[in-house]
Amino acid sequence: MFKYTVKRLAQSFITVFIVVTLVFLLMRMLPTDYYFTEEQLMKFTEQQKNDQLLAAGLLDPVPEQLLRFYGQLLRLDFGESRRIQNGVPVVKVIGTKFEISMKMGLTSLGIAVVIGIVMGIIQAQYKNRIPDHLGTAYTIFVNAVPPLVSYSLVLIFGSRVLGLPSIYSSRNPGPSSILPIVCLAMLSIAWWALWTRRYMIDEINKDYIKLARIKGLPTKKIMRKHVLRNAFVPLAQYLPASILTTVGGSLLVERFFSVPGMGPLLTDSIHRYDLNVVQTLVIMYSVLSILGVFLGDVLMIVVDPRITLTNKGGTR
Amino acid sequence: MKDQNNTQNDILESEDDLFRFVEYSPEAAEMTGYSDYSYWKSVFQNFVKKKSAVVLTIIFILMVIFSFVALAIGKYDYKTLETNSSQSFISPDSEYWFGTDNIGRDYWCQVWYASQTSIKLAFIVAVGECLLGITIGCVWGYVRKLDGFFTELYNLINNVPMIIYMTLIALLIGQSFKIMAISLICFDWLVMARNVRNLVIIYRDREYNLASRTLGTPVHRVLIKNILPQLISVIILRLALSIPGTITMETTLSYLGLGLDINTPSLGILLRNARSYFLDYPYLLIFPAVIVSIITVTFYLIGNAFSDASDPRNHV
Repeated sequence: MFKYTVKRLAQSFITVFIVVTLVFLLMRMLPTDYYFTEEQLMKFTEQQKNDQLLAAGLLDPVPEQLLRFYGQLLRLDFGESRRIQNGVPVVKVIGTKFEISMKMGLTSLGIAVVIGIVMGIIQAQYKNRIPDHLGTAYTIFVNAVPPLVSYSLVLIFGSRVLGLPSIYSSRNPGPSSILPIVCLAMLSIAWWALWTRRYMIDEINKDYIKLARIKGLPTKKIMRKHVLRNAFVPLAQYLPASILTTVGGSLLVERFFSVPGMGPLLTDSIHRYDLNVVQTLVIMYSVLSILGVFLGDVLMIVVDPRITLTNKGGTR
Repeated sequence: MKDQNNTQNDILESEDDLFRFVEYSPEAAEMTGYSDYSYWKSVFQNFVKKKSAVVLTIIFILMVIFSFVALAIGKYDYKTLETNSSQSFISPDSEYWFGTDNIGRDYWCQVWYASQTSIKLAFIVAVGECLLGITIGCVWGYVRKLDGFFTELYNLINNVPMIIYMTLIALLIGQSFKIMAISLICFDWLVMARNVRNLVIIYRDREYNLASRTLGTPVHRVLIKNILPQLISVIILRLALSIPGTITMETTLSYLGLGLDINTPSLGILLRNARSYFLDYPYLLIFPAVIVSIITVTFYLIGNAFSDASDPRNHV
């Protein structure tokens, strides 16, 4: 297990390294005028622009910049933001936004997991009857209709009928984050319900469940002790990844409700050419996604001891 | 069948030449396994059996036809629309069937023109993604030496958030219908190629393919005649689901300002413009939202039904 972990982490490290280098090179493809605000572009002469770029080391040959960048990374120095918040360390810029996104994301994920799994269980229990059809209709609707439309519907219903604030404000974060949380949860409820139902139905059709029924175990107990537990194993794999991705926030939801979270930060920083922010975010996202998959595998082993990731003697 | 029985009876009648050698004739050799099974006929029969799917298909076709009719019968032509702020926010009436938008343009022709744009984009992307995805997927799965290369390429493209690519494309190359279509194809083939690759690997070394190879069948024939037919249901499902997927992607990207340019009306652009006003003028949201939902939901369900029908295992 230890050897496997080390090998896998080394592999992930290489992936992150390549991704970061790729993004670094991609960002250097933009013309240098993007480094300045419009105001600066108007005021500065060519000479001043050149001086600024030289001082920031942005006119050096790309390989040299790349090497310097690796050196900074090794010292865990992510640099300062240039355009989003001038001169503030990137870690700080991300830190404040990070908290908002994560709170919202974790709340919605918690709601979604509970409601989604309960919905899936009910659907599996009443397969091909009205509750099942209702649930399927919900999942199809949420999956097929573009989120922009369903968010708009939530927004209209929430603000017109329930009188909730339609835009996030930091002065009363409680009520104004209800609608974004509902929107975030809506999609993942459908996901959890869909897969809980699918795995449970697969499990119900297996022979050992029939045996349990023949033995005379009550349905409730079969569902709780056998079906749900076994159906949860494949789901467990996605849990860590979904917890970790809440940190990244949702671009669309946060834009839609003007939440000052992590979601829009990436596009904003690319648009405003804030190199250090972009690079740090990319490193963060790729580390999180790789870590998510890895922790998912670990959790799966914990939930189901029969699963091993390394080859034992005799297995294939 | 009949001919065969007759010949058999003839043989039995004259017991003397019970075991005479029959002269080889290719037609007769083909006769033995004859049945009037035809793959596409069974697909069609299975599909027609599902009444809901047929109804949805008809609804979809009617809607596409109607979008042309609607543009023809509308009182305004999209290309000659003029901004007129005194006419803004007129609720739907006999002159403006869907009302007017914030700068006083007829909404009816905008909505129908936009749905045509979105449907066109979705179909182009779906077909392009299929061609590229199947070709690369086959090579990826069949040629062992290239497996590592394509897997790395897949990881590389998949690990950098797509939003970075889209932002860079929007900044560096620009925004237009063509660019949008090409860049969506460039990202969407990944999923298709991966699905195809996994299936090709499963079927690649089956005995019948081994036999085919030993008999000297050229590679392209093995791929097209022996392997591809096994993949049809998966390909069709992916193709059908990519249409709502593309429309969703388009609305999201356009909403974020990374999709089509503002002068190409699409459902995403309309929804984006509506975001600021629809709380006061709900009709600005409802018309594009209903149309986009009809397109995506029908296609989602049709796709599922058709893929069930095209799976040979479900054929009688």
